Amino acid sequence: MSGGVSAYAAISSRVRAMYANLLTPQDVLQLSEASDFSSLFGLLKNTAYGPYLDSLKDKDIAPKRAIIQIKRKLAASYNSVIQMTPVETRPLVKELYRYFELGNLKAILRGLVTVSVGNSETTLWDRVREVLFPLGSDTVLPAQAMIESGSVTSAVDLLHGTPYEEALSFAMKRYSAEQNLFPLEVALDLSHWRRLWSQAGKLTGQDHQYGAKIIGSLLDMNNLMWAIRYRVYYKLSEEEIINYTLPFGYRVHDSDIRAIAAGADIAPIVMRIYPMIGDVNVMFEEPQAGLPKLEFQLKRQLMNQCLSAFVGSPFHIGIPLAFLVMSDLEVQDLTVLIEAKSSNMPDDEYRPFLLKPTLLN
Amino acid sequence: MFFPEAMNEVQLIVPSKDLLAVTNVLGSRGVFHQIDSTYLGVNSGPNTWQEKAARCSALERRIQGVLQILSLKEEYFESSGFDSEDLDMMRFAIESIEADVKATSDQWANEKKRLEQLESQLRQLEPIADINVEVGSFQNSRYLYSILGIIPASNISRLETSLSRVPHVLFTLKEDVHKPVVWILARRSNSDMIDRAVKSAYLNPLALPEKFEGTPAKVAESIRVEIESTKRKISDLDDALVKLANIHKSELYKLLWNVHVNRMMAEAIARFGQLRHTYVVVGWVPTSDLPSLTQRLKNVSKEILIEAMPMARAGHPSNVPVALHNPGLLRPFEMLVNTYARPRYEEIDPTVLIALTFPLLFGAMFGDVGHGLMLAAIGWLLSSKKIKALRGMASLGGLMTACGLFGAIFGFLFGSVFAFEDVLPENPFFKQFFWMKPLENIIETLGIAVGLGIALLSIGLLLNLYNAIRARDWARFFFDPNGLAGLILYWSLLGLIASIFIHGFPIPWPVFVILIVLGALASVALSEPLKRLVEGYRPLIEGGVGIYIVQTFFELLEKFISMFSNTMSFVRVGAFAVAHAGFCLAVFVFAGLASGGTNTGFGYWAMVVAGNIGVVLFEGFIVSIQTMRLHYYEFFSKFFTGGGLPYEPLALPGAQKN
Repeated sequence: MSGGVSAYAAISSRVRAMYANLLTPQDVLQLSEASDFSSLFGLLKNTAYGPYLDSLKDKDIAPKRAIIQIKRKLAASYNSVIQMTPVETRPLVKELYRYFELGNLKAILRGLVTVSVGNSETTLWDRVREVLFPLGSDTVLPAQAMIESGSVTSAVDLLHGTPYEEALSFAMKRYSAEQNLFPLEVALDLSHWRRLWSQAGKLTGQDHQYGAKIIGSLLDMNNLMWAIRYRVYYKLSEEEIINYTLPFGYRVHDSDIRAIAAGADIAPIVMRIYPMIGDVNVMFEEPQAGLPKLEFQLKRQLMNQCLSAFVGSPFHIGIPLAFLVMSDLEVQDLTVLIEAKSSNMPDDEYRPFLLKPTLLN
Repeated sequence: MFFPEAMNEVQLIVPSKDLLAVTNVLGSRGVFHQIDSTYLGVNSGPNTWQEKAARCSALERRIQGVLQILSLKEEYFESSGFDSEDLDMMRFAIESIEADVKATSDQWANEKKRLEQLESQLRQLEPIADINVEVGSFQNSRYLYSILGIIPASNISRLETSLSRVPHVLFTLKEDVHKPVVWILARRSNSDMIDRAVKSAYLNPLALPEKFEGTPAKVAESIRVEIESTKRKISDLDDALVKLANIHKSELYKLLWNVHVNRMMAEAIARFGQLRHTYVVVGWVPTSDLPSLTQRLKNVSKEILIEAMPMARAGHPSNVPVALHNPGLLRPFEMLVNTYARPRYEEIDPTVLIALTFPLLFGAMFGDVGHGLMLAAIGWLLSSKKIKALRGMASLGGLMTACGLFGAIFGFLFGSVFAFEDVLPENPFFKQFFWMKPLENIIETLGIAVGLGIALLSIGLLLNLYNAIRARDWARFFFDPNGLAGLILYWSLLGLIASIFIHGFPIPWPVFVILIVLGALASVALSEPLKRLVEGYRPLIEGGVGIYIVQTFFELLEKFISMFSNTMSFVRVGAFAVAHAGFCLAVFVFAGLASGGTNTGFGYWAMVVAGNIGVVLFEGFIVSIQTMRLHYYEFFSKFFTGGGLPYEPLALPGAQKN
């Protein structure tokens, strides 16, 4: 216990202080009251995101730029937490942070595919850069060089020595044959979650308990949605669904994934795993509209798991992990708000997808 | 030292002809924090300098590519100065070297590729080398479907799961961590399912070499002969490349330096505002570096216009980069401050303050001469970087040294050395430094700790007032919960307690009650409306009066509780001083038990030593955490907002400042 206390006392204090700076459900509701994007931007400047938004000049105030600045705060939180995390658990947090790098890698590859259908290369980097998570120097991706390389194959060649090399070396054969990014993206996803789960498995004691709980819950959400989407949207075969999913998680077990792959009724499986989610049957009646709602509910469950990490002993990795996941969910909420306000979307269309305010229910 | 470095917003109007010389000065001085000023120019789209930066970037990569081919390290050796006309020449020079190297390197690459192919084929065959059949013949079987291939190790078990409903046999022919070889056999009628499964498991089928015939063993032997021949060719080509490296080395490094500097300059210029005959350059320069930079700029450009506007601390200048300027000794404390947040430009940099208060509070809780000196010695060892494995903790060394020395000072005051509580107070020399034993004066110790807390919190509140004055933020000065009204409320509460409990206190308690009411109204109840009134925002009250009253009630409650808890938090300083003496007592009780009551012998002293080490480690951790907590939660929250922008000056390689 004393090891946990000594290792986590400082980070626990700091993370709790940072946690206090997260927006409250009321804050998010108040932000959603903004009449348009510019008033939302004004309100955001009065929050903890203010210092990041202040650096935008008037001419730069655009939704995409605002979102990037907001993500900078998340990046700063990750850097701060990684710096303070004990050596034993730091690889797990770093791997979790790598999720954003994975997103960047996918965006770069998608950008390269887009250019091959006729857009000019000079503007491609500017366009891709706008959607990249601001990792600064904390990335192994030579992003600009990859884009300038002009093709997916050349770009992947530049990833030599990175954690992505091995997964891509296998998947590139399929890309060459199919000219489709799907196998690359699936391989990258599976490889990332395997590494993350493996890091969580290396922890001991309370770290292991909370690491498995938070990371496992994140994994559950992704794994379950993959299995459902592969079956419902992509109509993949049983063998393919099994190979494109993972056999571990916190609540979702391999038997559940295999049952979905084998063609079992999905709604009862989801209801058994998550009895607290209501109206699951309704969601599957109209999957196009229902699956986003299911994903939203799974995020809500994830948020509850994160909140529970703050109860009880504070000397474990659960608190930093939960804080980072909560921060990410908050950024997702703000992204929804910014995009909704900038496109003048009616309130009733986007409000059901704001996570934070559901804590008030 | 007490504030971030004073900054000047500098605007330069640079004649086009002097552009490069001016940029060179800005980059080589390493003090100019550049701001993107393209919006001030007439061209808003991509400019020629962006294109030039991209060209330089491409050239740099080409040079790096050649260096890699020639097995030369990527290093920057300062060479000739910058000359914009060099870029095309540099491209020709690079192309010339590339052409010279290309034939040999292409041949080398082809042979390498051939070698890899052969080795790969050999690796594919090695696992099945002892099978005395032609593996290829299975592929033409009428009833049996066979796939031999490499698969990611982590996918094997998943592949087996996905095939659980299909009769099949899966052999792992080669157990390789990265590229295991598997062989799957199944009925040909199930080939579709097998194909789907292996494809989705990312199995890459092995193409057995068609050129070679026979059993795997025979094929492998033929491949080995070819590998030897290829290796000989590669060795000859390696020698040729070494010769080429010697010929081109110095020119490549010169090119690399020039292209690198060109790129950095072009990237910087691309962010200048381009007018018809001039460029607008905007950025920040520390006041202390401004005269020398100005002089250098004027030396290289007679017609340059320099406008420097000292940046006032008033208002909320959130776009000003913050450069902290503390002596080396205070760096560990600066790190402690930055871990919490980087100060804003208008704020006090609390590094100096924390350099005093952090060791003071730590020392008060860790008062022991021996333990303090031990900690200081460990700190010195860390900061001296003498132990290679602990070099990463060097920045902690200074902090530990300061804390340890203060611990030793309090050790003299408390009369404690290595847990011996009677040695110092009974020594005629050290007796004069002795103040009191915390364990024997518990109430007094706790009271002093609370007093220290009151003093620190008051300093925090006063610093907040000072920050508000500097920022000319009068709403915050008067009506912030930590502003003047908050300070009056806090001091009035203390005064009320004093007037009730101290007989003959000069100010009667009703005065404090009135001040408390006024302070509570201004700092909590009416704080928001008053702030809005001063700042000109309307409406004064948001969400209706009913909600406002309920909210105010709870805020008042929270305010009183937090003031009480903030102050009482400092009890822990006294409590840990007392606990330290308690731990020391426990060490000797255990030592006595270990010696069987004789209080001597090996067991006794071993326990005393082990107990002391235990106290240093255990208390050291706990006390440092508590000290950090008191500063981050109680002290900083009163005046320190943080969130300043880091100062990142433009610095070409070898810049003077950095």
